[in-house]
Amino acid sequence: MEVSHSVKERTIAENSLVILLQGLCGHVTTVDLRDESTATGRVTNVDAFMNVRLAEVTFTDRQGTVSHLDELFVTGRNIRYVHIPDEVDIRATIEQQLQAIHRVRYFGGRNKGRKEFPRSKHK
Amino acid sequence: GGAMSFLKRFPPPAEGVRHQQPDTEAVLAGRTLGAGTLYIAESRLSWLENSGVGFSLDYPTISLHAVSRDLSAYPWEHLYVMVNAKFEEEETKEAPMAEGEEEEEDSDDDVEPIAEFRFVPSDKSALEAMFSAMCECQALHPDPDDEDSDNDYEGEEYDVEARELEQGDIPSFYTYEEGLSHLTAEGQATLERLEGMLAQSVSSQYNMAGVRTEDSIREFEDGMEVDIAPVVAGQFEDAEVDH
Repeated sequence: MEVSHSVKERTIAENSLVILLQGLCGHVTTVDLRDESTATGRVTNVDAFMNVRLAEVTFTDRQGTVSHLDELFVTGRNIRYVHIPDEVDIRATIEQQLQAIHRVRYFGGRNKGRKEFPRSKHK
Repeated sequence: GGAMSFLKRFPPPAEGVRHQQPDTEAVLAGRTLGAGTLYIAESRLSWLENSGVGFSLDYPTISLHAVSRDLSAYPWEHLYVMVNAKFEEEETKEAPMAEGEEEEEDSDDDVEPIAEFRFVPSDKSALEAMFSAMCECQALHPDPDDEDSDNDYEGEEYDVEARELEQGDIPSFYTYEEGLSHLTAEGQATLERLEGMLAQSVSSQYNMAGVRTEDSIREFEDGMEVDIAPVVAGQFEDAEVDH
């Protein structure tokens, strides 16, 4: 499960429900946009500003025209709703995301800390 | 017909260009604007026709962008960009319109204007890179009008991040005093041992910035690696550390 590399973004996520959306990565869901178009696809990324990236998208524009998009990025500002899929346990998802953030932040344990380091050698 | 009145002549962006795609057609609402180069820069998205005229789009006005490979929807694979703004197309004749209404216009004045751009590169394999570059640039322009979130997070975390950024790609680390106060007894003992070894060792073997060679890592299996990962001041304050 991916956690942002930015301290600020992790803090924002931890203190808002964006953290739930971040836990939807890998799930197929529908995003309703402000202009009443909708996009259904697999969530590949959600950042702290609620920008959502979807793959394999069925996009229905506000006139009802359907098209298929390989990848879609929609800005948080333009999202009205994100549907939470039925199979998602909301509480468990939030807890998992919080744990992921805390693993990154509190690397006090022995082996956990080691896994955090991207590279053991610097140039 | 009239020229696209929003097209202007300007020099291509020089800074922060994350991706540049030549030989790319720009299409607005189904009408081609010609062939040119798309510049995906951190400050704005620009397209310049080969003749030197073009336009720019500011990221905050872009609602979404996508890669479309569905040839039944549009005959060429392209980067689709939806913009929250009005773009004049051909200059229409000065036909009197009743009450200021526009015919065939399905959007009211209340509804936000939408302009649909398609950027069709001759090199279709570039679409992924174009899409990703746009995602990165969009993320640099978060919504300043976001009323919902209270993003005023004060405190040490942000100061440390600013310091990290200043230091470029040198990983940040605690000052001696900060770090020492956050170590457990075991950690402090380990630190003393390491410092002792540093003092004894040949200077070239260890780098003071905390870089370890393969040998030294094996040796210090349980060492607190305080110097490598970017640490955040205060991050251990309420940690529940099991040793």
